[in-house]
Formats: sequence, C-alpha cells, structure tokens
Amino acid sequence: MNGFRQPSVLPGFGLTLGFATFFLSAIVLLPLAALVLKTASMSWSDFVSVVMSPRALASYRLSFGASLVAALINTFFGFIVAWTLVRYEFPGRKVLDAMIDMPFALPTAVSGIALTAVFAQNGWIGQYLEPYGIKVAYTWLGVTLALTLIGLPFVVRSVQPSLLEVQRDLEDAAETLGATPFYIFRRIIFPAVLPALASGFTLAFARAVGEYGSVIFIAGNLPMKTEITPLLIVIKLEEFDYNGAAALGFVMLAMSFLLLLSINLVQAWGRRRLVAARR
Amino acid sequence: MSITLDQVTKQYQGNPVVNDVSLAVAEGEFFVLLGPSGSGKSTLLRAIAGLTEVDHGRITLFGRDVTQVSAREREVGFVFQNYALFRHMTVGENIEFALRVRREKASERVRRRKELLELIGLADMDDRLPTQLSGGQQQRVAVARALAHKPKVLLLDEPFGALDAKIREELRRTIRSVQRELGITTILVTHDQEEAFALGDRLGVMHLGRLLEAGKPTELYSRPATRFVATFLGAANLILRREVRSSPESGPRALPGRRPEAGPAYRREQEVVAMLRPEEAELAADRDELTTSFLGYGHVEDMQFTGALERLRIRMSAEDSGRNDDAPASTTAPVWIDVTRTQPEQRAFPLAPGQLVAVGTRRIHVLPTPLSSFTVCAGSREAADALLANPWLTDLAARMQTRLSAQVEPGLESQPPVPGPAPGGVAVVSAGPGCPARVRNLLDRGVTPVLCLPEDAGAPGRVVVHFAGQVARRATLAMTASLLRHVPAEAVFLGILPSGSPERTRTAGVRQLLDVRSEAQAGHGLDVRTELRLGDRIQELLRELGSQPGQMLVLGLPEPGSLPENFEALLTQSPGWPVLLA
Repeated sequence: MNGFRQPSVLPGFGLTLGFATFFLSAIVLLPLAALVLKTASMSWSDFVSVVMSPRALASYRLSFGASLVAALINTFFGFIVAWTLVRYEFPGRKVLDAMIDMPFALPTAVSGIALTAVFAQNGWIGQYLEPYGIKVAYTWLGVTLALTLIGLPFVVRSVQPSLLEVQRDLEDAAETLGATPFYIFRRIIFPAVLPALASGFTLAFARAVGEYGSVIFIAGNLPMKTEITPLLIVIKLEEFDYNGAAALGFVMLAMSFLLLLSINLVQAWGRRRLVAARR
Repeated sequence: MSITLDQVTKQYQGNPVVNDVSLAVAEGEFFVLLGPSGSGKSTLLRAIAGLTEVDHGRITLFGRDVTQVSAREREVGFVFQNYALFRHMTVGENIEFALRVRREKASERVRRRKELLELIGLADMDDRLPTQLSGGQQQRVAVARALAHKPKVLLLDEPFGALDAKIREELRRTIRSVQRELGITTILVTHDQEEAFALGDRLGVMHLGRLLEAGKPTELYSRPATRFVATFLGAANLILRREVRSSPESGPRALPGRRPEAGPAYRREQEVVAMLRPEEAELAADRDELTTSFLGYGHVEDMQFTGALERLRIRMSAEDSGRNDDAPASTTAPVWIDVTRTQPEQRAFPLAPGQLVAVGTRRIHVLPTPLSSFTVCAGSREAADALLANPWLTDLAARMQTRLSAQVEPGLESQPPVPGPAPGGVAVVSAGPGCPARVRNLLDRGVTPVLCLPEDAGAPGRVVVHFAGQVARRATLAMTASLLRHVPAEAVFLGILPSGSPERTRTAGVRQLLDVRSEAQAGHGLDVRTELRLGDRIQELLRELGSQPGQMLVLGLPEPGSLPENFEALLTQSPGWPVLLA
C-alpha cells in the first residue's frame, strides 16, 4: 500500500483533507447536528413518550424488519444476478446489465405506483394471488417488495467486480485437487466474494431503511400495521409537531448508525487477514 | 505408458486448436511440450487434466481411459502459470486442500503438509498467507499443493512464466529434483527452449495445434525433421541445395552428415532443404584453409559481440554459393548465413565487417521434406504473376521460410513437351482446363511434386489424402507430413475400394489404412485420421472434395511420372481445389 503522503495527481494532502472535512460537514454533519440539537430541546419524558409510543414501536418493527428481509433477499438474488452477468455470455447481457441500474434512476414514487398497480387486488399479478389469500399491496409484503426493488442494484454492483476477480484458475485448481462444484463454491468462491457481499448487504439495508417514496404508495399506511417510520415522521411534520419528528428521526439515525457500524466492524474483522497480507 | 494421447483434437469456434495429437509418455518421464504461444500446448495440457473437454480422440492415464472423466477424478496435479493459490488460506491450508477435500485425518494432513513443505524447502512458512510470499515461493507452494494427494501425473503450465530469470533457474532446479525424487510422470508446457532443454527427458514441439516432433533434446536439436523444429530449437540456417540422389559420393558437393534416403528411381536430381547450425559453420580466409567442406564465399555483413560468442551474418556471394550453379536463374536472391564463433575461434581469425570469407560446414543436416521450395511454372509472365500473387501460396512459402520463385516456360503446354531446365522443389501450375497438359509436361521431365492451384484458392480447412497404389505411398505420406506441419487444417486419409468388394478385401482395406496410420506415425510423427469408402476412386474423391468448400487434395499417382486420363477431372473442376500430387 502506498503511504498517503506520496505525490498524487490532486494537489496537496492538506488541501484535499481540508476540503473533504468541510464538504462532509456542510452536507452531512451539519443537518444531522441540527437534528440532534432539535431533539435535545425536548424534555426527556416528552422524548420517551414520542419514541416509545406503540405506533412508533410498530413502525420501527416494520421499517427495520422489512429492510432486513429485503436486504437478505437482495443479497441472495443479487449474487445470482451478478454471477449470471459475470460468468455467462448470452444475447442481451449488456441490456440486462444496464437495466440493473434502473432502480437508481427511477423516481421512487414511480416504482411505488407501478408496484401497486401490478400487485393490487385487481392488478396483473395481484389478481392471481388473490384467490390464494395472498395480499401484497397494502401489507407488509408490499413494503418488503418495494424495498427489495430499490436495493437490488447495490448488491449486484458491489459483488460484480469481486466476482470478476475470482480467477477461473482458482476453480480449475480446486477441481484438479478433487473438490466438487459445491465445495469449490463454499470454500473458494464464497470466501472471496464475502466482503463484497457484506458491503452490498449493508448498502441495500441502509438504503431500504431510509426509503420513503416507493413504500408509501404500496404500503396503504395503516397505523400500527403498514406504517413505516419515515412516514410517521412526515405525519408528525404535517401536524407541525417538529419536535416529535426530530425525535423519531434521531432514533432512526442512532439505530442505523449502530447497525451499520456493527456490520462494518464484523466485515473489517473478517477481512483483516487479507488486508494485512497485502502490505 | 502412463500418459497416452490418441488423436486428441480440440476445436475452438471451428478452428482446430489441438489437431490430432497422439503421444505416449513413459512412467516417470519428464516430458516437455514446447511451442510458440497459440500452438495449442496449454490447451492440450488442460485436456489431459480434464479442464478442457476434447472433441475427438482418447486420453489414457495409466491404462485407464479418462476421456470422459472429470478433472476431479483424474488424480492429476496441476500447476498454473499464475500460481492460483487460494489467497484466503495460509500456505499450510493451501497445501492440505486436496487432503481436506478427501476427508483425510488431521494427523495425516499435518504429517503430509510437513513432508511437502520440507520437500519444497519452505519448512517454516506454514502459517504465512500466499500474498506474504515472493513469486518463486508461491509457485513452490503451488507445486506442493498439486502433489499433496499423491497424483500419478504432474502437469505444469508455464510455471516459470511470471518469474524473473534468477528465480526461474532456482525453481527449475527444485522442480527437477522433486520430480526425480518422487519419480512422478510429468508434463511441462513452455515456450522457452532453454527451459525445455534443461528439464526434459524428452521434448515435443507443437505448432499450429499439431505435435510436430517428439524426441530427446539432443536428437531434436541435431536432427530435426521439420523446418519449424529446426528454427524453433535454437538458431538454424536453412539452405536450399540441389543434390544428385542416386550417387551420394558424386562430386565435391556431397553433403556431410546427410542421411542417405532412397528416392524414387526415376528421379535423378533433387532439391533438398539443409540445416546448418550457426556453431557448425567454419570461417577462413580462403577455401583451401578450411578444415571442413566448403559451402561458399561470402562477405561479413554484421558482427555482434554477445559475451561468450560472436554472432556474424555472412552474405553469401551468389556466384560462389553452393546451391545455385544449376538452379534456375530466378533464384539469385541473396542468402545470409548466421554464424557464431567462440572466443578461441575469434582470436585465431579476427574479422572485420565487409571482409570476404570462405564458409565451411562441419556438419549439415538434410531435412527429409519433399517440399523444399516452390517454383511457379507458367506459359507467360502474366500467368506466372497471377499465381505468385495467390495469398495462400505466398503465406505457405513464408511459413516454410522457403523460396517462392517463378519460371516462365512458353513450351509448358505444347505437345510433345519441350524440355527445359527442371524447376526446383514443388512446381506450381494453375488449375483449370489446361492443367493436365502442364502436369504431364512436368512429370515427363521428372519434376515432382506438382501443386495445381486454382488462382483464387484460399487456405484449406481440410486436407484429403489419397494414394492410388502402393508405389505412391511413401511419397504421399512424406508430402502430407510436410504440408500439414505448415497448414492449420484437419487431415483425413481416404481409402477407397471398388464398390461390391468382397468382405475379405474390405478387411484388408481397413488393415491397410491402419498400416498407413502407423507408418505416418512412425516415419513422420504425424497422426492422420482414416476413412474407408466404397465406390469408384475418382467419383468418391470428387464427391468428397465437392462436399464442402475450402478443401485440398494430396494425391499419390498410381504410377510415378504419369497422369492417367481419368484423374484429369480432379484437376479441371471449377471452382476447384488445390491438388498436390506426386
């Protein structure tokens, strides 16, 4: 690894570090600090009554639970999509590759409305699920579906480069040594892409927790049932309860931060051997 | 035999990457597959390991047909150019991977791991990660890993490719000693001839998907059978010479070291390709001072000092060079001879650029190829130029590193034939309506082989071989062998029996085909596929050649020197195919 004092194409280390700090402060830290300050102006009992209200608790459960499920689904299927794109040559591969990014570009409200139209009781797919008693739109299933849609590209784009890096030779070597395809996957390919997979999961999860636009259309927004925390915040804002909104925002921020930090720590622990070795 | 390959063929997008390779490697032998990049050697090695499926042929390991067996079950050890170590495992874990896969007991694993680390000289590196090792150490680990499950065969694919010269030599020695110690049958693939000489008990040289020759390093170096092997294994001067075959001792120009080879009786004079190694050439101020046979006079054109040796390039003077006194006038192109001299030789006879020297040859080796050079024969300049412009012909001559010249003969098509100076090497005439007359004219003058070339003929993708009668058998096989070494095409040997042949004749026909195959293999190191047809000879050949475009015919005539009338159809078809006949 290069020492960070080495000459580089961008001017001076001091200047770039200063700029990075300033940029991060202005764009990220300042608004967050405002949020914390706003929350701090509440009394403790007010804070607790807002953030521990049954409605709020139900919304945390839905937000974090659905995000977790969606991120897990994405990790699994995102890996398969990335594998297909990296390992196979087929007509339309480039098109499919480009389509992966569409959830990035699509206004989330549009995808939410589209999903609702398709999965509503009389929608294209919803009408066939209805007889089986499966309701997607306006249930937690719908929320999970919307969160899955917007999280997929994160996993695919994280895993793709590291899959490309797994040389075919490694698999060939394992095969000549007697390993079965499943063994090769478990012991050679999976460990190699695990860090990328974890970071893809983290990104998809973080994105899902913060998602608002697509969910509110398909969720139905029944209090205690299909109400996500971001929506609850918006409702508080519309009631001019700025302090309540800030309190809920603070809780989301804290929980997300803790979750992301712990995932990153686990990842760093897993990767330490490799990173240390590359010096 | 521990590794046997039988007509192994691998096509990639319709092109043969490995083309009918047959090979047998003895138990405990260190065999080196040598060839330029793209010659198919790595593909062949992967096929032996089971990492690449073959389209045709059979692979046998220790008597067990493994052609359809997966790499996992072939019990081979494979070492890759880029090491292919598992980076998330320690050196020890890498080495015991094969044992873990096989669920060996932990105690056994540890024992074997210690043993192997000892063997490759990295005893204290057990807990390191591969990325903490140097390239040479990583490749040692890869070798140990490949040996862990005690494979019967070790396959190494350019294992030194990514290493610098000094480490390369060290690792080379390690691998050689490990191989000797274990007595394991080994095939190593490389493009480096020095490496091949240093390691191999035997070498096989591959080019264009074919295994050209296999043999002991010293044998291949001093007596190659093909131009490619001659020039790929070290430097070589290829010289075209005319020689009188019937009387080896005739005249002062009889070549020393030549293997006498009985040519067809009607043929009195022949052009041959001779190989002169740079270190086998002697330089002196005058012909009389040479202690070896005189080759010719020349001027020193270029001198390079390279440490132990001095490299010289001598431009031979046309009037004195040995090859031209009876050659056609169109062959006056300058000939350079590369010479290397040792320090004592330099001191004994110091040279300066431009100086006139006499060149002698200590040892010269005549290649047994009937396709020495190409001479286009045509009735007019225009016709000759049209043939000379054929891209496939120019390409073929360039690949053979030989001369392509033209000889205009107004009397070529007249009857009775007007005798002229016999063209050297292969006579090339244009195919089409007047072709049989041209061929007869040449055959009457004792010129063979003859190549009938349609003007727009491209590189053939398939070569059909047939001889009409046992007399032509030798010549046909020799032509085929020589041609196929320079043409990346599949070849099939067609045996044709009259339709309605009794069962006994058919069996004999099949046996004859098998004989041909083994003769081609024994005599030329070439494997050909065989097919037996029933029907009229000419009709069958016409049908075979007409079945798909891009084919070529190698034809042995029933009687040397004469073209039967019913064979004319093979030469006059339009659009036609190239026919090489003798």
